[in-house]
Amino acid sequence: MSADIIEGFLCPICMKDLGTVTQLQGHFEEEHSSEDKAVFQQLKGFFDKAKKRILGDKFEGELIQQSETTKREELVGLSGYDPSWWEDQEIGAIRSHTDSFKAIRDARVNHFVVETNKLLIRLDKLLSPDAPLDPKKRKAYEKAIVRWVPDNEVPACLSCARSFGILTRRHHCRLCGGIMCDRCSEFMASSYARKNHNYLVNPAHSFHGEGFLKRTNSNTSLNSLVGNEGESIMRVCRTCRKLLERRDVMTEQRNTKPPIVQIYDKMKMCIKDAELILPDYLPMVESLSQGETQYDYRQAQIMRTKLVKLYEAVDQLSKKIMVFDLNTEQGANPKQVHLQKSIRLYASNFMQENLMGLQALPSEEDYNKLRQRRAEEIQRKIAAERQAVMEAQERERQERERLERERLLKDLSPDDGPKLGHRRVASGGDVQKKKLLPNKNAFSIGSPKTHNRNPSDENVGKGWKPVEEVARVSKASDPMLQQMEIIKGYIRQAKQANRTDEIIMLEQNLQDLYAEYQRQRAKDHQSS
Amino acid sequence: MNVILAVKQYISKMIEGCGGGMKVLLMDRETTSIVSMVYAQSEILQKEVYLFERIDTAGRETMKHLNCIVFLRPTKENVDLLAQELRMPKYGLYFIYFSNVISKQDVKVLAEADDQEVVREVQEFYGDYIAVNPHLFSLNLSGCCQNLTWSPPLLSRTIQGLASVLLSLKKCPMIRYQNSSEMARRLADSIKQVISKEAALFEFRKTDVAPVLLILDRRDDAVTPLLNQWTYQAMVHELLTINNNRINLASVPGISKDLQEVVLSAEHDEFYANNMYMNFGEIGSNIKELMEEFQKKSQSQAKVESIADMKAFVENYPQFKKMSGTVSKHVTIVGELSRLVGAHTLLEVSEAEQEIACHSDHSALLQRIRALLANDKVRHIDMLRLVMLYALRYESHSNNDVSGLVEALKQKGVSVEHRQMVQAILDYGGKKGRGSDLFGNQDAVAITKRLLKGLKGVENVYTQHKPLLFTILDQLIKGKLKEASYPYQGTVQLKDRPQDVIVFIIGGCTYEEALTVHNFNRTMPGVRIVLGGTSILNSKSFLQEVSMAVSSQASTLQSGRVARP
Repeated sequence: MSADIIEGFLCPICMKDLGTVTQLQGHFEEEHSSEDKAVFQQLKGFFDKAKKRILGDKFEGELIQQSETTKREELVGLSGYDPSWWEDQEIGAIRSHTDSFKAIRDARVNHFVVETNKLLIRLDKLLSPDAPLDPKKRKAYEKAIVRWVPDNEVPACLSCARSFGILTRRHHCRLCGGIMCDRCSEFMASSYARKNHNYLVNPAHSFHGEGFLKRTNSNTSLNSLVGNEGESIMRVCRTCRKLLERRDVMTEQRNTKPPIVQIYDKMKMCIKDAELILPDYLPMVESLSQGETQYDYRQAQIMRTKLVKLYEAVDQLSKKIMVFDLNTEQGANPKQVHLQKSIRLYASNFMQENLMGLQALPSEEDYNKLRQRRAEEIQRKIAAERQAVMEAQERERQERERLERERLLKDLSPDDGPKLGHRRVASGGDVQKKKLLPNKNAFSIGSPKTHNRNPSDENVGKGWKPVEEVARVSKASDPMLQQMEIIKGYIRQAKQANRTDEIIMLEQNLQDLYAEYQRQRAKDHQSS
Repeated sequence: MNVILAVKQYISKMIEGCGGGMKVLLMDRETTSIVSMVYAQSEILQKEVYLFERIDTAGRETMKHLNCIVFLRPTKENVDLLAQELRMPKYGLYFIYFSNVISKQDVKVLAEADDQEVVREVQEFYGDYIAVNPHLFSLNLSGCCQNLTWSPPLLSRTIQGLASVLLSLKKCPMIRYQNSSEMARRLADSIKQVISKEAALFEFRKTDVAPVLLILDRRDDAVTPLLNQWTYQAMVHELLTINNNRINLASVPGISKDLQEVVLSAEHDEFYANNMYMNFGEIGSNIKELMEEFQKKSQSQAKVESIADMKAFVENYPQFKKMSGTVSKHVTIVGELSRLVGAHTLLEVSEAEQEIACHSDHSALLQRIRALLANDKVRHIDMLRLVMLYALRYESHSNNDVSGLVEALKQKGVSVEHRQMVQAILDYGGKKGRGSDLFGNQDAVAITKRLLKGLKGVENVYTQHKPLLFTILDQLIKGKLKEASYPYQGTVQLKDRPQDVIVFIIGGCTYEEALTVHNFNRTMPGVRIVLGGTSILNSKSFLQEVSMAVSSQASTLQSGRVARP
């Protein structure tokens, strides 16, 4: 938008302010009707609409809407590509198989769960402190808990199908009682067993080390309950091992969070917090830097510090993620590296998008100045507008008088009584006037009512917002400080992009700017 | 009726459905293209999708702290690979989306593989096609027509693709097809079958006027893909080949490394979006403007002295970086285009092509073609195209001299395979194979129209040709499309003028036709047309398509071959 915005009943062709609707219409009919029929028609239609909608802000909205539609038409004409011609589209058809999938899976998984639970209960008993340690008694104890399959029912190993004999002996799984040969047996360290058992009681228990022992070639110690490292072991079959391990993996996953996820979660929290504050903060700055008093200055300051802190945290955390584990692990997993880089990119994109637009607050001193200036501005504006209205009314009055005079002159000649004619015209004028009044009120240009009030009354200014003020004041707000802030942000960005030449250039500029700022401040002090 | 938006909404929904946290997107070869056409990588990154993996990549790393969004076509191989993946899950949780209808049996296979209970969702999201523009989609299939009939695997892929377009746009259409084409009839029947089989899926809110699916065959208009194009998108495809929005510039002399492959996406490149339908001359001036604007900006970067300069620069920095990328990309492309145009006298060639397609002065044309065949600057492929166009145009002309021109090609050293294409194009798109009046010879009205046009002269000699699709759509929208030539599948007929139209061309559509559809959408309020094809053709890929279609030996060799991703 151009810097100087003129408001009022402007003639679209000669840009003269005519003050009132009727004036403008009259002016247009007289001066420009021959020039552009289309514009005239549009304008006329526009007036009709405006008359219908007496409310001023609605009228303004109409204006904006109209300019928007024309803009859009232009766009359509220019660009070859505008998907927005087509109305909003709902998402396409979807069909879910989740339920049937889960039904099938649950039927299957339930079986595991039941089995696993059975094993865990047995394990619990086998590991209980009352269990006898003496091998013979222990065997009886184990048999009492789990029914061992009788030897004669199984002629060959169930998993490798070798027939049992003197060389190939039968062994029982301590958890399910099934029979297998020695080669097919698995040995579970009791510490691992205890861990599994502990999950029943305390799921947060963690365990490090090898759960199942590797088979050695020696046959000697296999019958004993003690493994190579002196830890007691338990013979189990493969099926039971798998069930226990499956459960183990799932619980492990459920209960542990890798450190990188913890950092990531923290980072996400900061981003979320920032996103919560931003929509509150932005209108505050906007309003404060125009010198409005709607928001509390201190509060905005607090918010800003909060935001900056959050951004710093995001920056730090994402950097931490990027270099995480890169040095400790030799030849780090390339996908992991890629992931970490992507996360960093995500964070910097977020910051770029939001931090760059993070306007600095005006300093407290400036804010006060702004506030004063704004108040003055408002006063001036009110005065100017009142003046304009008065002039317009004056013009209208003159116009009416002129018309009346002309009528009078005309009326004088024909047969009709001059008095009658005169009266008719006068009443017509009155009607016009009445119609106009509410209009003016609604446009808040300053109705006769506000006239009589004390013009310096602050309340007058509070009711409405002059549109052009926005542009003017925001430009005047301390550009130096703002500039420095923006440049700082930019230097950060350039550093990220490793563009040393630009960094140097900008830092130079920042210093110059700072010096200039100090100089001006000093000058200000002197003059005041 | 915006296919880009339709696919994009599916993808967004998948990502949302997965919740927060780090995510990986697991795809197959085809779904990778599907996703890449609607989402830029940076855009998807902001939704916390940090990794992109292919399901057929062996030895992927285990990363349990990532949740996995699976987007796959429901093929046998994919189901098997996914079942394997679920048995030994590499990621935390799985959210599975298939791009088309999946059988109950396959769901069972997957459910039985999921012992570790990592799957959270199994759904069908019908994004089973490549969305190129809001009104244009492709299936990236080549060689659908073999021995002048459907190649079975490609027919079923086409059915799936087209059904997914309907589902994603929520349209349950009336189907019309080109009567002269057996392939079109078969596809229409199959689509109808799918609709009645999945009746529950196709139950959408009824609109006043039912949408129309119009199935056409490339063989009816073999001229359009043979012509040189002068609008930006079409021209780039013709001369440099666009492949899923990507253009390979590696063969351009003196190209810098980061410009060897560039992406042209109207979704993410404003200049391209504004200029894709502009003709070459307009682009020349627009690119000049772009350059000047850029130079102005880069100058202001050079001397950031005053505070105002600096402020402006800093505020524009991200745009500046983006712009410098856009500028160098488009300048390179347009530069290369104009180099090619100049080097191969394409303007002259194109003028002759348009004359052949739109006018009927036989002897003058023949001389003109002879002259071009004698020109050493003209590429062999362009000579061949001229002769092919001539052969199509004057197939039944009593004095036609196809054999003489083929002889001239031989003298120029055009290879036997290429010379055979002249006969091939007649077998493919000649009179026998056509159902409609491609050159407007039979219809008295068309002939007078052509004469009038000849008298008036044309605005632009290079773009006089209007594809057959224009006439067909024009008639369809006016409710005048003949039922005899384009019958309905089934007994129900549309009484009103259609509003929503999906046109599908077996054998591929062209960007010239996409432009035609775009103009319809722009100028006809209330009418919305989406164009699709088994592929998007340029003359090179069309010649391949033709040679596959007419040669019978090729059918075994080429079956199931799909266009490069």
